[in-house]
Amino acid sequence: MNRYIKLLCIAVCCLAGLPALADTPPYQVADGNKVDPHTLTGWRTWRAMACERCHGAAQEGMVGPSLVESLKVLTKDQFKNVVLHGRIDKGMPNFDGSKMVTENIDFLYAYLKGRSDGAIEPGRLQEIGKEGGQ
Amino acid sequence: MSLTLRLMRCWPCLLLAAAPALAADSDVEKLTKDPKNWAMQSGDLANHRYSELKQITNKNARNLQVAWTFSTGVLRGHEGGPLVIGDTLYIHSPFPNKVFALSLEDQSIRWKYEPKQDPTVIPVMCCDTVNRGVAYANGKIFLQQADTTLVALDAKTGAELWKVKVGDPKLGETTTNTPHVFKDKVLTGISGGEFGVRGRITAHDMNTGKVLWKAYSTGPDNELMVDPQTTMTWTNGKMAPIGADSSLKTWKGDQWKLGGGTTWGWYSYDPATNLVYYGTGNPSTWNPRQRPGDNKWSMTIFARDLDTGKAKWVYQMTPHDEWDYDGVNEMILADIKVKGTPRKALVHFDRNGFGYTLDRVTGELLVAEKFDPKVNWATHVDMKTGRPQVVDKYSTDKNGPDFNSKGICPSALGTKDQQPASYNRKTGLFYVPTNHVCMDYEPFQVEYTAGQPYVGSTLSMYAAPDSHGGLGNFIAWDAGTGKIVWSKPEKFSVWSGALSTAGDVVFYGTLEGYLKAVDLNGKELWKFKTPSGIVGNVHTWEYKGKQYIGVLSGIGGWAGIGLAAGLTKGTEGLGAVGGYKDLAKYTELGGVLTVFALPDR
Repeated sequence: MNRYIKLLCIAVCCLAGLPALADTPPYQVADGNKVDPHTLTGWRTWRAMACERCHGAAQEGMVGPSLVESLKVLTKDQFKNVVLHGRIDKGMPNFDGSKMVTENIDFLYAYLKGRSDGAIEPGRLQEIGKEGGQ
Repeated sequence: MSLTLRLMRCWPCLLLAAAPALAADSDVEKLTKDPKNWAMQSGDLANHRYSELKQITNKNARNLQVAWTFSTGVLRGHEGGPLVIGDTLYIHSPFPNKVFALSLEDQSIRWKYEPKQDPTVIPVMCCDTVNRGVAYANGKIFLQQADTTLVALDAKTGAELWKVKVGDPKLGETTTNTPHVFKDKVLTGISGGEFGVRGRITAHDMNTGKVLWKAYSTGPDNELMVDPQTTMTWTNGKMAPIGADSSLKTWKGDQWKLGGGTTWGWYSYDPATNLVYYGTGNPSTWNPRQRPGDNKWSMTIFARDLDTGKAKWVYQMTPHDEWDYDGVNEMILADIKVKGTPRKALVHFDRNGFGYTLDRVTGELLVAEKFDPKVNWATHVDMKTGRPQVVDKYSTDKNGPDFNSKGICPSALGTKDQQPASYNRKTGLFYVPTNHVCMDYEPFQVEYTAGQPYVGSTLSMYAAPDSHGGLGNFIAWDAGTGKIVWSKPEKFSVWSGALSTAGDVVFYGTLEGYLKAVDLNGKELWKFKTPSGIVGNVHTWEYKGKQYIGVLSGIGGWAGIGLAAGLTKGTEGLGAVGGYKDLAKYTELGGVLTVFALPDR
């Protein structure tokens, strides 16, 4: 069903002569764990906010839902809305009080989208072209 | 409670005008002396979790069967357990912190209380919304709600008598501990070590909720309620005064204001010394480089005078924590032989993997030994200085931020978390639920924003390597010598509070949901699968000549919600999580109290 809609969408886009936006991912990744500086900042934001306490180390969900699945469904705007304003009664805090999150929300989205797409591996990341980590 | 007694209690001042000191005392101590009741979360003032009842024995425990059950209607981790006073059982739930009074006669609900709480506390609760149970005294039920409200209810009707707030969830402050009634006071703590909370304990007037004293874990001497000259600590093999600014000197700048040292454990009280004993939690953040120094008095056992709040002695178990080894676990007061000499002891199974025995009157260190042989972050505790000797390889401070220190045992869950042990007055031994889990720990720089997580470390946890493959053990411990007497392996961490009885039976629950009965040698006598994993504590009582065993099941808590954080490439090393992920094969959420008894003859 989803796939059908996606195909339809791409078809419509192509018919309209527009680029299929869905095809340009918001992240760059090599070897599964080397990413562009923005996506790296997104991962650091994820880490600093201790998101894994609810969503799991690999974003597969624990008390909170699986973000690997959620980001297949949520639009970027919906994602930002949930992160900034929370779903309080479900236990999701509002992060609009965090400078780190508000400044890096696009990068956080990029990182999680990469995880959801299966392009970025779980765990620690480093910058493309830089020797890092251990 | 008899009607006569109740009437008397309406006029305590008239009856006891000659002895005002006694007039104020609650009936809780007296109630705990009758084994038919289970009047405090730990059964008594000393945290024994031991019952004199002996209808259920090691000979007949295999015949135990379900007598009745009760659903709380709430999901998430159900810690703590039921109180029984006379013919009424009081049971609580995690957030929204419902309280039920049940008739033991027909299990009908006498009253139900459900506080109105702001749901914004849910996200602050470090991912699980546990509560460790209510307290009872003088016809009142005391509930410490998640949102830091301490409330007193009429035990007969459930009507609110008074309410007082002890913290601010907007700053990341929440509460999960049981209130503790000692003499005429209600004592409570604070949670939020992962949000940069400054830990403290408050004592309240049982009748009004008024704060009588408040003592912080970190900061200036007057706020710590210590006296530089008379508050003592173990120093070079003897007790010596702590001196001025004992806490401030061990922090960089203002970090003590976000210093942690929370107080969410099980306190105890010794009427003979009039001292309250409790432990403090981890220093904030989890990145040790951001807080050079010993970070006093986090990770510390405090002994305070109940009436004045003044600290008589302190002992810091894990100076400058680098692993999240909170010191909040229960302080068990037991009169035992230590290395052959009778002692008024305090026994404490710390998250850091050492079982401590101290003299509870003086604060002297007597024994500190590993209660899991796998503990490796320190070789031993130096008995002269009282300091653990840290192994460089496992020092997350020496290794520094953005370095993954691997193979540290125990994990941040500790060799034991809050799940309380039992002291058996007959055998003189301690029966201890433990974790058998190790970790990788990678700290990183983190900034503080009020009300936001303030952790600064990524963890990965897994079953202790080169062992039996399980995540837990249930052990018997000799606190006089610091030796493991026996150890029974478990598939998962044992996250349930233990109970031992005069019938020579020891009970504990498992994360798959079994309630187990073992004999004094650790041999399994009986088990029963309750509806969900057990993180609650086993309690016992007697009603109309029959002994009952009750336990809350309802998976949750840190163990039940999974484990944080793979650091390795891909899924390598995430097998850790797999250990607990297996749990999903055995159990689902849902809170149920299951009550057991022997069949009628």
